[in-house]
Amino acid sequence: MSSRFLFALVLAPAVWSQTPVTYSQDIAPIVYQYCAPCHRPGEAGPFPLLSYEDVKKHARQIADLTGRRVMPPWLPEGHEFSSELRLTDDQIHRIAEWAAAGAPEGSTPPPAPKFTEGWQLGPPDLILEAKTAHALPASGADVYWNFIFTANVKTTKWVRAIEIRPGDKRLVHHANLYVDRAHSARAQGADGFPGMDPVFERSIFEPDDGHFLYWKPGMIPYSEPAGFSWRLDPGNDLVLNAHMQLSGKPEQVRPSIGLYFTDQPQTKFPMLLQLEHDGSLDIPAEARDFVVSDDFKLPMDVALLAIYPHAHDLGRVLEASATLPSGEKKSLIRIPDWNRNWESVYRYREGITLPKDTVISMRFHYDNSSSNPRNPNNPPKRVRAGNRVADEMSHLWLQVLPLGGRDRRMELEEAWLRHQLTKYPSDFDAHLHLGAIRLARLDPSEAATELQVAVKMKPQNPEARNELGSAMLAQGRTAEAIAQFRMALKIRPDYHNAQYNLARALIKTGKTDEAIELFRGLVTAYPNDAEVRNGFGELLYGQGKYAEALEQFDKAIALDASNAVAKKNRDRAAKALGH
Amino acid sequence: MNPLAVLVLAASVAVTATLDLAGNARDPFASPTRARVFVFIRTDCPITNRYAPELQRLAGAFPNVEFWMVYPDRTENSDAIRRQMMDFSFPGQILRDPRHDLVKRAHVTTAPEAAVFDSENHLMYHGRIDDLWVNPGISRPVARVHDLEDAISAVLGGRPVRLAETHAIGCTLADVQ
Repeated sequence: MSSRFLFALVLAPAVWSQTPVTYSQDIAPIVYQYCAPCHRPGEAGPFPLLSYEDVKKHARQIADLTGRRVMPPWLPEGHEFSSELRLTDDQIHRIAEWAAAGAPEGSTPPPAPKFTEGWQLGPPDLILEAKTAHALPASGADVYWNFIFTANVKTTKWVRAIEIRPGDKRLVHHANLYVDRAHSARAQGADGFPGMDPVFERSIFEPDDGHFLYWKPGMIPYSEPAGFSWRLDPGNDLVLNAHMQLSGKPEQVRPSIGLYFTDQPQTKFPMLLQLEHDGSLDIPAEARDFVVSDDFKLPMDVALLAIYPHAHDLGRVLEASATLPSGEKKSLIRIPDWNRNWESVYRYREGITLPKDTVISMRFHYDNSSSNPRNPNNPPKRVRAGNRVADEMSHLWLQVLPLGGRDRRMELEEAWLRHQLTKYPSDFDAHLHLGAIRLARLDPSEAATELQVAVKMKPQNPEARNELGSAMLAQGRTAEAIAQFRMALKIRPDYHNAQYNLARALIKTGKTDEAIELFRGLVTAYPNDAEVRNGFGELLYGQGKYAEALEQFDKAIALDASNAVAKKNRDRAAKALGH
Repeated sequence: MNPLAVLVLAASVAVTATLDLAGNARDPFASPTRARVFVFIRTDCPITNRYAPELQRLAGAFPNVEFWMVYPDRTENSDAIRRQMMDFSFPGQILRDPRHDLVKRAHVTTAPEAAVFDSENHLMYHGRIDDLWVNPGISRPVARVHDLEDAISAVLGGRPVRLAETHAIGCTLADVQ
């Protein structure tokens, strides 16, 4: 304990204090609101703070930690965020004065707060448990582990809230949940895999899920506002990236997740927009203030709902701001003394409206000197971007809701991809995704140009060939398209999307026998895909095989009653058969 | 043993009201040893627990040194103490110091904080175990300076301890006086 520090802290307030500070009058209300949510049995806090005796046993320690603003843990300056865990200077002074006066109790203390037991939002609609517990050693560096959960839902569900139970809240420091629609996590380890920042494959048309799903100590589970539910499809995996600290003895951690569904499908489509410049993260040893920046100009009006800065141990000052078209500058967040142990998503009390052409700026400062006690290298050495704890990152995630009513994520994603390409001109994924988005936005000509670049960069990539073929098909370049699809299938023979596209291209050139062959394979591979059934039915109808066509249309409608095209096709087929 | 040391030893027996877990008086200075290490701990201090593996290592490295885990919080119950000792495999013998006599004699203020006495029961070192914690909010990835280990080595080697006093990070003992 630094006695000099305590002295400085207690002497000043004692001068202007009027009445003696007591536990019952002054301290209990602060402790119950800010400390007790974590400092109680079963929660993250290492000891309870629920009674006078509890608090007295830590009085000077609490004065010291609150004086340094180590506790309660809250990194950003300012007061624009909800669930703020920041004491006022006056509250800190009162705690110091109370501890210095010998922690007097005063009159009868108020009763300890009552907390909801068990699942905080009531019984979940679905509970998922990690397949296996993860074993932690007694000592060593922090552990980052990715737990994989398979969501066994039979039909598409809309999720309005989740509650993450990290297993042992004293060990798990924070955890982020990701939806892995492409099953790419399983390939990294059947039950889980190590790593600080997991990387997932995303299908080309799937903009990021748009929701921050996470757990941190003391948090109350967040319920999405009306319209903000998110989609969970049969077979989707959920991946929980957990940051764990060791306790001093071997431990087992087995998290679970409670999911709460709603009948209301998603009508508001927020997006997680990432600013970053990991490519410029190359911090020389002993650099004290290395700055990484990124600036993104918004292509549309948005509401900024939440923000999540992320760096590793060299991060010091993390800031973000917005420069409005009027020239006005707004601070979005400022963290003066970054600490990865307490990283968090911060939600704005009120969404911040940022008009089109606002420039969002990220400025992250890093200290790679030996005077940074968290420096993972001793002596310091050159550090670059990467997933390991000893590497660095410069990520700023913003949850934005494009304004204007409809789903405008693709438009925003396109602007973001163009921005990526200014930073990384040879980013294959950015070219591929931009091409796919231009195609989806009905510009096959620019799509083909981007996709040609992608194919040139990775000639053996089947997705790039398949997308380029699709763009060519849309331009009427059927023969070239067929060549691309065949190339994609040569690289990956069981690539069903390319088989489907090839079949449709073959129909245009009259090669129906091969197309029928392909469709037969597809309906076997995807018996529950209404689109494939409908496509096959159309092909059969064109061949005059009305009975077989009718069978496919019926199956398509049985799978998806809202498929209007299939219904129309079914009526035509039935009529042709004289039904 | 010189006459002065005998005097100090005699005085310590008279004023140190340390107890074992059954509540019986227990004088940790009773038996002769080359060096004695006291580590002051609490059951409710997470930094204490995270030092358990390091204390095991030191006890293994210095088999001829007496290790004592001292609990200065008189309100802590013996079952909680036994559970902590077992769960975390703390080394050495258990001692309770309800009147903080040993706390004062060792000049310690924090849990966990260590004190090293030589064979003549002179206080040779008190302070942190190592420099893992910079302040209660920040720890290093690994410790760079192993103060307690250095102090024990110096005492066993008959050398002066390089830094006889360091600042320990953890939970305040004055809170449980």
